Amino acid sequence: MKHRKKALANWGNAVLFLGPTTIFFAITVLVPFIYGIYLTLNKMDTPSDPLVFSGILNYVNAIKDADFWSSLWLTLKFVVATVFFVNLVGFGLAYLVTSGIRIQNSMRTAYFTPNLIGGLVLGYIWQFVFVQSLPAMGEKLGIEWLKLGWLGDPHMAFWALVIVTIWQTSGYMMIIFIAGLISIPRDLIEAATIDGAGPFRRLVNVTLPLMVPSFVVTIFLSLKNAFMVYDLNFSLTKGGPFNSTLMVSMHVVNKAFIESNYGTGQAEAIILFIIVAVVTGIQVYSSKKMEVEA
Amino acid sequence: MSKFNKTIGLFKKSAMVGIAAALTLSLAACGGSSSNKESSSNSPVKIIITNGKGEIDAQFKQAAKDFMATNKNIQVEVDSVAVGDTLNVYDKLTASGKTVTMAMFDPYSALNKYKDVGIDLSKEKWNADTNDALKDSSGQVIGFPFAVEGMGLVYNQKVLDKAVGGTFDPFTINTQDKLKALLDKMKASGIQYPIAYQTEAWSVGNHYSSLFLDQADDPNTIVDQLKSGTFDYTKNAVWNGYYDTMDILASKAYNKYGARPLGQYYDAAHVAVGKGDSAILFNGDWAFDSLHAVAGDTFGFMPIPIDNNADNPLNNKIAVGPTQVLVINKKASVAQQDAAKKFLNWLVYDQKGKDFVVNKAQVISAFKNNSNKVTNPLGVAISNAIAQGKTMPFSTNYINAGDWPTTIGPEVQKYIAKQESRADLAKAFENYYKSHQQ
Repeated sequence: MKHRKKALANWGNAVLFLGPTTIFFAITVLVPFIYGIYLTLNKMDTPSDPLVFSGILNYVNAIKDADFWSSLWLTLKFVVATVFFVNLVGFGLAYLVTSGIRIQNSMRTAYFTPNLIGGLVLGYIWQFVFVQSLPAMGEKLGIEWLKLGWLGDPHMAFWALVIVTIWQTSGYMMIIFIAGLISIPRDLIEAATIDGAGPFRRLVNVTLPLMVPSFVVTIFLSLKNAFMVYDLNFSLTKGGPFNSTLMVSMHVVNKAFIESNYGTGQAEAIILFIIVAVVTGIQVYSSKKMEVEA
Repeated sequence: MSKFNKTIGLFKKSAMVGIAAALTLSLAACGGSSSNKESSSNSPVKIIITNGKGEIDAQFKQAAKDFMATNKNIQVEVDSVAVGDTLNVYDKLTASGKTVTMAMFDPYSALNKYKDVGIDLSKEKWNADTNDALKDSSGQVIGFPFAVEGMGLVYNQKVLDKAVGGTFDPFTINTQDKLKALLDKMKASGIQYPIAYQTEAWSVGNHYSSLFLDQADDPNTIVDQLKSGTFDYTKNAVWNGYYDTMDILASKAYNKYGARPLGQYYDAAHVAVGKGDSAILFNGDWAFDSLHAVAGDTFGFMPIPIDNNADNPLNNKIAVGPTQVLVINKKASVAQQDAAKKFLNWLVYDQKGKDFVVNKAQVISAFKNNSNKVTNPLGVAISNAIAQGKTMPFSTNYINAGDWPTTIGPEVQKYIAKQESRADLAKAFENYYKSHQQ
């Protein structure tokens, strides 16, 4: 009897604390997600069309869609470039602002600020930089390769996207790295110093291994952000010139809403979800193994 | 005295209203057992109108109020699409079980996706006052032209006046040679790059690359050839002519961005033409806001010459046509349809209706009897062209404006960036019509 009462109380507690969250999670994520999978099994041109069951036709169309795979390939390149540079720059900044230089607190604020600007606004601001400011500078200083707007050349437009992403997100990663860096016990660093390790040795053999938990988080975040990039893509290049910077999210949106092929677009979104889930899953699992105890 | 008369008039009026009300009341009392709701005149007819131009939401709702003030037996509900929403508000309302009485569509959707929605409007009085009513393939009028828009080469009057030494008349530029001579004159007058060519996919695709459809009086005849695959692009003089002219517009000699013609220049190009650093770009009347022009400067449209035959009608006209049409839903009740028709007549013939369309909503009216003028000088240029008969169909209405920005548009951009030849571009058109239109 007593046992049963306790179980009931536990259950009550669980409902009290987890219930609301679970309900909201279900309403906003789970139910739409499952309903979304159901929609892919129907033939639809727009989201308001009547449902006509069509089996896996949408998935067949999605897999046959060459543009989907080429935009996914482009997105992969974008992922590699941004994950590498965002973490490199983020860690570098964090190292800098925890090294004890005098204005480090205001520097932290300054580096974090770009993250507070939304992707759309950021895209339009940087569009101005790439189309007008940089060419104007090139003109004044006589730098040949800066004279033309960046967004008209497929390669430069791609790197423009990468640069803006670094600028936007490395400040955020910096905050996570700072938390990691200041939690490293001072005594370990001191011990290494007494053992004769120089600054570089200390970084590689002491600091970095202890920072793996931070890297697990930052790499996961930057991976996910890069795979799902849309707002910046939309506002900075609109996928141009001639679709050369059309990332996969934008392709999915175009497919579903602009080309009025909602079923196929939705199926592509599900495929994209699976790919991202697998990639980030592997990343988290394998890098967790690299964590060490201090 | 006149005040006294007015008071008597008012008294008379209210007396009449009173008598009318009493009569209707007694009538309604008699017919109380009648189950037919539509015939009872004291319960107002409710109609739903969807407005596809989100930017004039407030004005449209005010217009509905003004209309209801004089048509007390009609209740109008206006539902506007949010600016930039991809899903038509008509779909949303229909999906939620409501019957939209009158919907605003773009002409292509009205003729394709929503082709089964509309009733025949051929017998409406307003057909006599416009050339832009939307007809389906059988020639039946299904769309009321709510807004017309136009496109061509936007020019800055001040710069061109200086270049030609006098008042520049846009319709004098009716051959490619004359266009080139004009551009050279502008260079001589100190404008280093006369053209600021913005190359957004929808502009070079949907707008510019559909203009060749106007070589037939009815663009549908060309569209049919495209769909059946019988149109030979590379041998078609008009199709080639438009890209010959595009080569001039995008060239290093005249175009501000000639060295790298692609690359998000929309805002920069418009500001350049607005300020007078450059003077010509290709766009429509909606471009005016982006020009950020100094108040009082004038802008207009000139035709796009595609060969050296000054008598070619394409060289002497600008493309103008309805971009939003109102369609009355078959599924609405007869009383609702009649109420919607009344609203259309109000838009065309009532002073307040006319005032709403042009002065309040700043929409260019498709109707000859509406003498109001929009404040946008490019809109004025279009109403003048309509008045002079110097217009040809708005060719974009005959293509699928939904997928061209992601299909044909990028191909045209590749052509502009010299990444593909004109033969490749022709191939891209062929493939598009093969794979997208069954």
